[in-house]
Amino acid sequence: MVAPTTEALQTRSVRFRIKRQDRPGLPWRWESFDVPVEPGANVISCLQWIAANPRTIDGRDSNPVAYDAGCLEEVCGACTMLINGQVRQSCSCLIDQYAPKDGDVMRLEPMSKFPVVRDLMVDRQRLFHALTRTKAWVPIDGTYHLGPGPQDTPQSQQVRYKLSECMSCGCCLEACPQYKLEEHESRWDKAFIGAHAISQARLFNEHGTGNVLASDRLETMIGPGGISDCGNAQNCVKVCPKDIPLTESIAAIGRAVTIHSIRKFFTGK
Amino acid sequence: MASIIAGFLDRHYFLIRRLHSLTGVFPIGVYLFPHLATNSSIVWGKLLNESKLPAGQLESLGIAAHAGVETFQHEVNFIHSLPGLVLIEIGLLWLPIAYHGLLGIYFAGTGRSNVDRYRYQDNWRYTLQRITGYIGVLFIFIHITSLRFGWTYWGLMPAFDPQAAASSTAQHFQQSTLGTTFIAAFYLVCVLALVYHFANGLWTAAITWGLTVSVHAQRRWGYVCGAVGLMLAGATVVSVIGFSRLDIDAARQIEQVMRNGPAGAARHVEPGGSDVLSASPDGRDP
Repeated sequence: MVAPTTEALQTRSVRFRIKRQDRPGLPWRWESFDVPVEPGANVISCLQWIAANPRTIDGRDSNPVAYDAGCLEEVCGACTMLINGQVRQSCSCLIDQYAPKDGDVMRLEPMSKFPVVRDLMVDRQRLFHALTRTKAWVPIDGTYHLGPGPQDTPQSQQVRYKLSECMSCGCCLEACPQYKLEEHESRWDKAFIGAHAISQARLFNEHGTGNVLASDRLETMIGPGGISDCGNAQNCVKVCPKDIPLTESIAAIGRAVTIHSIRKFFTGK
Repeated sequence: MASIIAGFLDRHYFLIRRLHSLTGVFPIGVYLFPHLATNSSIVWGKLLNESKLPAGQLESLGIAAHAGVETFQHEVNFIHSLPGLVLIEIGLLWLPIAYHGLLGIYFAGTGRSNVDRYRYQDNWRYTLQRITGYIGVLFIFIHITSLRFGWTYWGLMPAFDPQAAASSTAQHFQQSTLGTTFIAAFYLVCVLALVYHFANGLWTAAITWGLTVSVHAQRRWGYVCGAVGLMLAGATVVSVIGFSRLDIDAARQIEQVMRNGPAGAARHVEPGGSDVLSASPDGRDP
């Protein structure tokens, strides 16, 4: 990152237009704040400045904007939001790249595919529910010692390493035209499971020990809301901040369920 | 009742979705090849084939030979000579098309396009696949009802007569109350939409079934699907131009000579759609 040196860049003011909602069920509204931006500032540091100076551009006193954030280094996924209409992590979003000039405007909105808790904070519980639907874990709990795991090749490890970088941020779901907001938990088991969970099914099915649950995962994938709901728009792979090959995972699980269902047809299980 | 249907759909969801994918490729997509090859024979038949009719007979009628009309009529005769044609039509065309089309409308409704926010080429591809699907359902309904069942849509689309294949198809294009240009544009837009729908569907079906897993394999298969699409699009354009410009009267006389056999070895054939032939004063049998 080249350090900005111009006078204008150091003293500039950036206007943040923020979609706000006090709590679930209440109507939302836009509020704008002018924030003095230092070189290297990111969206979170600007939201911190607003929290300290919650005054809108019409000089009206407001309250701090609620947002979620954790690691501040793009590995936890908590601060995912829409920035200028596109989904991404706000901690790694540098103002210098988005609003290089004095008076530039940045638009912040909460993700639209999850219920809003307050302001920019959403409830991503459905995303984690999808991981339990997928059984995205390696089952090693038991009453006896299972011994060492099976041998693995470096090639297979490399494929899985990339998939394991998923931080469950929800970018792939936000950009997916087939993934829609489902407020009620009762509908989560039949609504589209999403690219992240399909990719995690591949990760754990290709794991030497994790694959004992392979057919359970594939059964979830062939059910309602499973892989068949994918429409191949391939937005997921383009917005993924970790460059996870989500569309390859979708095709790999597509192949696995093809074989699984043919086997099931002829053997009955 | 609704819960019984919902339960059935849930239990067989995967099979229903995969059958939807399969029917799009086979038989519907595969059918495009012989269909468009036959239609475009009005042009390639003229360029590649020799007229099989005695030249003197056509000369005495004052018309030039047109091997395209002969080829097209020959192809249509072959199709109509197939045993159990209605069963083939129902089993391999109408039922699969109804299944693919109606479920496709339902499945397309489960998504919401967001090309306004995410302007990726693939996202446009996704959106176009749905739009062309809607166009296709509407077009195929009009196409089958007008050319197969003789609905003329108040003179908008004169009917098809398999005994006078080329001339009645040309009438379908040229004797519409809205004019040749309208019908030609209608066919171009709708059939090219369907060709796109098939080419893109062929590409995504390979992902759905797990044939193309890696990005490289998907790109390579994309070239194949693109070539297939361009080929079918070419046949579409050629067919539409061929029938929009065909001389209807000359074509009808060639067809009559074909029906009656060379040198009047008379085998009188009752015109199937006599209303079509009698629609024009020149259409009477000799």
